[in-house]
Amino acid sequence: MKKKGRRSFLEIVTAFIGGILGLAAGIPLIGFAISPAFKKGESKWVDLGLADRLKNSRFKKVDYTFTAKDGWVKATKKRSVYVTDAGNGEWRVFSRICSHLGCLVRWDESKESFLCPCHGAIFDKTGAVVAGPPPEPLQKLETKVEAGILYVKET
Amino acid sequence: MGARKDGRLEGWKAFLRERLPLASVDTHLRKPLPKHINLLFSLGSLAMFLLLLQAATGAFLAFYYSPSPEHAHNAVTYISEEVPFGAFVRGLHHWGASAMVIIVVLHLLRVVLYSSYKAPRELTWIFGVLLLLIVLGFGFTGYLLPWDEKAYWATVVGVEIASTAPGLGDFVAKVMRGGSEIGAVTLSRFYALHTIWLPWLAFGLVGVHLFFVRYYGSSGTPKNTPEEMKTGKPFYPHQVFEDVVGMLILFVVLAAVALFVPVPLEDVADPTNADYDPRPEWYFLFLFQLLKYFQGPFEIIGTFVIPTVGMLLLLFLPFLDRSERAVLWKRPIALTVTSVCVVGIVVLTILGGTSKKLETTDAAVQETSQPTEQIQTETVEEGEAVFDFQLTDEEIEGAKAVEEESQ
Repeated sequence: MKKKGRRSFLEIVTAFIGGILGLAAGIPLIGFAISPAFKKGESKWVDLGLADRLKNSRFKKVDYTFTAKDGWVKATKKRSVYVTDAGNGEWRVFSRICSHLGCLVRWDESKESFLCPCHGAIFDKTGAVVAGPPPEPLQKLETKVEAGILYVKET
Repeated sequence: MGARKDGRLEGWKAFLRERLPLASVDTHLRKPLPKHINLLFSLGSLAMFLLLLQAATGAFLAFYYSPSPEHAHNAVTYISEEVPFGAFVRGLHHWGASAMVIIVVLHLLRVVLYSSYKAPRELTWIFGVLLLLIVLGFGFTGYLLPWDEKAYWATVVGVEIASTAPGLGDFVAKVMRGGSEIGAVTLSRFYALHTIWLPWLAFGLVGVHLFFVRYYGSSGTPKNTPEEMKTGKPFYPHQVFEDVVGMLILFVVLAAVALFVPVPLEDVADPTNADYDPRPEWYFLFLFQLLKYFQGPFEIIGTFVIPTVGMLLLLFLPFLDRSERAVLWKRPIALTVTSVCVVGIVVLTILGGTSKKLETTDAAVQETSQPTEQIQTETVEEGEAVFDFQLTDEEIEGAKAVEEESQ
């Protein structure tokens, strides 16, 4: 009886020490691996160019770059948007990233629609879903014009 | 001379016999197989062979590969074009991955065909299904590594699929990417997963899977009576001989493909490339096609519900199918379900692979694609004009100064 009691005590302590070791090593390791998911990205205004040059009643595909940290790298990020001015100083700048699964949409002038090459999504010129799988419209980027320069908010 | 050599060999054998349980190993190797067994029972060994081949070719490719967006594509080009045997080794690894998917799926179908997953082999089956997931994980993490267009866009779509999972989806996607978008951190963690985590997991699971295979013995075909289960030929050398011949044939075929079919390497990944139509590797095409049919709020059915439920049903198949052990065509329900799944996956794969590339007419861009003096810089890509009007810091400061003066 005494022996059995000692054995179960040893078993409990062994399991306890094992648990402590597992937690002591596991928590920092898991935190180390998943930490990027908690990092909040900085938003900043990026210039697209002089607003006068971008004025167009139809969509222009505009590429732009900006620098941002990508892990340990200070990287030049490339982005692509469709830009049009809707008049009255209102700008429509659509991200080209399909709201379904991230492929890049293309503007089709004859259909007056944005088409996705992956799963057949179609968005109208306001970015609303016309057909296909996306559950949400195209992302409309925040804009501002300062000193005649058109900026988009990059998040 | 010969006698001396024989004597020395016997000496070594005796030395090892004293120190290792060789007699027990020998007993295991010569364990008799069921009487009724056929060539399909070599598929598991072929999968094992391919895993070892992938590990070997991968370990050698790592000598030259560099997991960073700046160097990955150049490293793969260097391997393919300049390193002696580089194209061949990369070919073996690339086509070996496809062969692995084919062999593992055939192995699974063989188990279904002879209902080998039934008691007492449920755990063997479960570990086998986990290994199938690991194989798909190898494929998914591996094709980002060349950092070409296909690599980048297939990963974008793959990670976005994960992000649609309810609750933790967005978090999981961020963990996979190592942030909010695919970049240097993503590439290094995919490399770590592909070359360290998944191989360790794979070999661990293979160990457990093989332990169960040996512990319960080969299932044989359902034709075997209980008495015939242990009256077949011994595993070694008979089954091993057939396995090795299979491995040789497989290697010759793979080597021929690696020699004569160049492994594709597209342009370096470009997150703004408008003309690229993303398509995944052939073994994910069925999922790619499936996603087209679930629209709006039903998107999650294609991205999450069907893959998850399908995988869970597969995993717990031995507990769902309680019928008597028999060959597939004598089990009408199992035959129907298996046929629907196989035909469905094949049809979706064909539809996905033959789906038309997107063609757009961009009249607005064509009108403005003629450079005017007002357009600062213009890069014309094939088929569509791209405008880059961004200003330099000096130009922005100048514009601000002009505005301040005018106020």
